[in-house]
Order: sequence, then C-alpha cells, then structure tokens
Amino acid sequence: MRRRDFLQVAVAGGVGASLGVPAFLRKTWAQGGPIKIGMPAALSGSNAQYGIQAKRAAELFSKDIKGKGILGRPVEFIYEDTGGDPATAVRKAQKLVEKDGVKFLTGVVLSSEALAVSAKCPEWKVIFMSTINGAGALTAKAWHRYFFRVNTSGPMGARAISLYLAEGPMKRFFALGSDYAWGRDSVASFTTQITAAKKEVVGTDYPPVGTKDFASYIAKIRQSKADGVYLALPGQDATIYLKQAHQFGLNREVKPIMEILELENMKAVGDAMVGAIGSSRYPFTVDTPKNRDFVKRFHDLHGVYPDMFDGETYEGLEWLGQVIQKAGTDDVEKVIEAWEDSSYEGLEGPFFMRKCDHQAVQLGFAVEAVKDPKYPHPIPKILATYPGEKVTPKCRTEDFS
Amino acid sequence: MANLGEQLLNALTLAGLLFLVSAGLSLVFGILRVVNFAHGVFYMLGAYLGYTTVMLTGWFWPALVIVPPVVGVLGALLESSTLRFIYRRPPIYQLLLTFGLALILEEALRILYGPTAKGIDPPAYLQGAFALGTLLYPRYRLFVIGLGLVVAVAVWLFLRKTRAGLVIRAVAQNSEMADCLGADVARVRTLVFGAACALAGLGGVAAAPMTTAYLGMGIGVIVDAFVVVVIGGLGSIGGSIAGSLIVGAAQTWGAFYLPETAMVIMYAVMGAILIFRPWGLFGEEE
Repeated sequence: MRRRDFLQVAVAGGVGASLGVPAFLRKTWAQGGPIKIGMPAALSGSNAQYGIQAKRAAELFSKDIKGKGILGRPVEFIYEDTGGDPATAVRKAQKLVEKDGVKFLTGVVLSSEALAVSAKCPEWKVIFMSTINGAGALTAKAWHRYFFRVNTSGPMGARAISLYLAEGPMKRFFALGSDYAWGRDSVASFTTQITAAKKEVVGTDYPPVGTKDFASYIAKIRQSKADGVYLALPGQDATIYLKQAHQFGLNREVKPIMEILELENMKAVGDAMVGAIGSSRYPFTVDTPKNRDFVKRFHDLHGVYPDMFDGETYEGLEWLGQVIQKAGTDDVEKVIEAWEDSSYEGLEGPFFMRKCDHQAVQLGFAVEAVKDPKYPHPIPKILATYPGEKVTPKCRTEDFS
Repeated sequence: MANLGEQLLNALTLAGLLFLVSAGLSLVFGILRVVNFAHGVFYMLGAYLGYTTVMLTGWFWPALVIVPPVVGVLGALLESSTLRFIYRRPPIYQLLLTFGLALILEEALRILYGPTAKGIDPPAYLQGAFALGTLLYPRYRLFVIGLGLVVAVAVWLFLRKTRAGLVIRAVAQNSEMADCLGADVARVRTLVFGAACALAGLGGVAAAPMTTAYLGMGIGVIVDAFVVVVIGGLGSIGGSIAGSLIVGAAQTWGAFYLPETAMVIMYAVMGAILIFRPWGLFGEEE
C-alpha cells in the first residue's frame, strides 16, 4: 500500500466512524467537547503538599458539577507533575496548551514556576488563574491581561498581619525569612509596614531553604529580646523551626508570627504550635453558611479538613465556571471581558476581580492556632477580619497607601 | 559564656546526627567501593518507621530499638538482590542504581504516608530544658549528643577489637586477598551494607523528634554526609567523627556569627581541607 492510499483509507474510515457516533456525542463535539482545565502542579518533590491541595479541590469541584457541567459541557481536568521546577512547569504547560488544547491553566504551586508559565500565556492566548502564588510581581511588574489572581497575595498577607500587630501590645520584632524571593520579599514588606506603625524590627536573618537545625537562629532571637518573631518560612522549614523553638522554650518568650498559618504546619507540629499567630488566605473555620457546607463536602470526600489552597483553588474554579457561564462561551477573550470587574460570593465572603491588575479584592484574616477537642489537630481561630480595600495593594503595585 | 556553651552544644548535636548517617556512608564506600546515593533514604525511612512505631506503641524507646534492625534487614535485602550483581561494572551503574533506589523509596514513602510531615514528641522525661549553670538546654538534644558519642565509641571498638571487625577491615583493604584467606566477602558486604543502613535508620529515629519526619529529609542529609565523608576521608570511622564535628561546627557557628555565609561556609572548609589533604583528614592516599 502506498502512502497516499493509506491516507485515503484512514480519512474515509475516520469520516465513517464519526458518522457512526451517537447524535448526543456529536452535539458536544460540535460545541468543542469538554471544557479542559490544565493543572501543571508540583505533585512530587518537597512542595507536593501544595499541588495535592490544588488537585483535591479540583476533585471536589468535579464531583459538585457532575451532570451539570459548565454551559452543559463536561469539565475535564488534566494534571501534569512539575516537581516544583520552573523549566519543567513551562514544558508541561506547553504540552497542555498545544497537545491537549486547554484554554485555562491553574494549580501552579511555586511563584517561580508561576512567573515562568505566566510569561508565556499572552503568546499561547490562554488564561493563567493563580490560586496559590504569592509573589507580588505577578500582579505588578510581570502582569498581563491573561493573568488572574484569585488568591490573597504575599504582600496582602503581610498587610493583614501588620494591621493586626499595629493595634497590639508587641513592640519589638525579629524577622526570619527563607533565603529566596518569597522569604526576602515578605520580610521587606513586613519591615516597611511595621516600622510605619511605630514598631521596631530588632534583627533580621535569612536561613537557607531546607535548614534542618535552627538552634543558632533560636539563640539569636532569644538574645534580641524581641516580643515576637515574624516567620516567612516555607511549609517544612516552618514546621522544623516551630518544633525546635518549642523544645528550646522560645515560643513562650517570643511569639511566633507566621506569614501564612497553615494546617499543614499545625498537623505536623501539633500542640507546640498553639498560640502562634499569623495571616491566613483561607481559614477553614470561617463561619458562613457556604463555607460550613463546603467544609463538610470536602471532609466527606477527602477525610481531612481543607487547608488554605484547597479553599482558594475551589473558589477559583467555581468563579471561573460562573464567568464562562456568563460569557456563554469558553472563548478566552470573551471570558477575560466577562471576568473583569465581576463579583463572586466566595466561601469566606465577597470577591471582586478588579480590571486594572486582575487581583481579586477579598477579606484579609489574622488568625491564631488554638486547640479544639473537636479536631485532631490545632485549628485557626480568627482574631481579626479586614475588608478587601484595606488589604489590597494599589493597582499594579505591591504598595499600600 | 552561656552563649558560647550553647553554640558548642548546638554543634555537638548536629555532629551527633551527622555521624550516625555518615559513618554508614563511609563504611559502605570502604568495603563495597560504592557511593551510595540511597543512604539518605534509609535515614528518612528510619524517621517514618519511628513515627509508625510511636503511633502503634505510644512509646519512643521501642522505636529506637526496633526500627534500626528493620531498616538494616531491608538494606541487606536490597544489597543482595540488586547491588551485588553490578560490583564489577563501572561505577556509573552503581550510581544509577542507588539513585534510582532512592527515588523509588522516597515516592513509596510519599504514597504510604502522604505529603504532610509527621511529628514525634520526645519521651516525657526528655522534654523541656536542663539547667547547666546559667544555660538552659533542651534535654532531648543532650540525649542526641550522648547517643552519637556512644555509637561512635561502639563502632570504633567493634572495628578495632573484635574478629568480625578485623575481617571487615581486611576486606576494606584488599577484598581479593581476604577472599583467598577464607573470608566470605559477599556476606561481609551484605552485612556491612545492612549495618550501615541500620545506623542511618537509628539517625532517622533520633532526628524525628527534632526535625519531624518529612519527604526530602534524605536528600537534605546526604549532601551534608558526603561533605563529612570527603573531609574525614572515605572509609574511615575516625574520619567520620572528625568530619561530623567540623561540619556541625561550621554550620551552627556559621549561621550564628556569619549568617550571610551560612550556605557556603561548610563548602569553604571542605575546599580548604582538600587543598592540603586531597584524600581527607583520615583517608589514605591512593
């Protein structure tokens, strides 16, 4: 058989096969088949717990819209493991866009990955929806119209906890940030805001990522006679710090203040974490009817309570679904228009997607880790809630007026 | 003064943990001539199995006693089922194999335990701090220093004063000659590999109350352990002890006195030593 003959047979066969497909299936094909959402998430490596949170949220969302779909079309999630590496993330995202034909990317875990993937989205003409990434630059220097951030950013978290501390009795602070972009940015942002509130930062240190013995830093923090220590350490490093500081008896003398107070830490550290305060992007203990119902559905499906990125990713997906519904199409340009200046009732309260930098304006929380006999681990208790206008930076900046 | 004392104890604690890991790494290289990338994973395995044992029994001590032999047996099984067949191949095969084993074991632990770190509490009477003059120091850390010291002395005595130790040293020096003289070299290799894994497992159990058991702890520790072994000299227990003390001191004192250099200071020390003694402090020139 020559090549041309083969092609003819193949094409004829293909046409025949498609005519033989039941009518209801052909109808969905005519509309473009399922709505595909690509998740190039870190599912292995030291940041896997965050990728797994994004995946858990997507699984619950799939279950919730089963049968209904979006625009009557089924929703399909395609997961790719990036291992937390920016170059791999770009490669996997490109595969999702070019081979699988996704129009929406989400679930990217690290800010470094997000910056790399987001930079390619104007060229690919796909929407990048951040539900995890904290780096301020994503909605400032590096912003473009294909990028949307549903989650609270790093500077927004630092703002919420600074507002809380400004009203409190603590005066002297030590700042400990992991030695990379997020840790250093957070410490800088915290220092600016806390100094503006007439408080003092008495010492700063940047331990390397992956530090397993914090004894030297603990000795320094104790010597500084600070009232509180501001910690911008990623999940595992924070767990180790808190555990060791507790063994040295430091947590009683110097209150731990976390950039993000996560369940992941509370589960691993246990009672030694009780009393730590910090900001939370989504505390699952928020008492709204919508959230109570979400927490129950989430716990029924996964057997655990939702952590910050479980909640924020779920909100992102639900909002995106509503926006596509409103646009009446999954055409990327039309979805962007429908999303800009739109509102959404999230789990913890109202969200507003401002047009100028696509940062979702939302409530900010200061929380404390407390013991509650109803739960197997400490839980976040809400100390203060701040309205969106107070905790969202000026458009396309990382600064607050 | 209290401050200097505290920094000294911090260095000794870290050295104690590093010794438990690097001693095995060094022994395996000495006897098997294999650079074992999977060694850190056995440390991690020790920490996770320690967590399981504590959850099942409610006690810390059984973990310290039961886990190391379990990890050791697993290590010995892996050696006799995989590594044994490629000793004669070029080192790149052994590198690929041990690296592959490390990845497989790490992912297996992720599937079994999930991504969240697992914390263990020290036993009740090792919780809290101990007063040494004006200095308050966590009791558990003093225990880790003691454990490192006891194991170091025990391993050294075993290698120097027992017949089994003599055979091991003979195989390390010249395995073919030892074979001719009637030593069962294959068995020695399996036993040494198992014992090395057991030591790493013990290190993992001891580390868990300080650092929790977490994914990635194996990769983190193996880098430091390699630096220890390079400084001390491959295949030498005395070298492991000296190397652990040097790396422990460089890391803790570096972080305290010269925080900006915390990352590089350990490698700077290693570089300096290698310039004068390329075979390490206690290694033998080849």
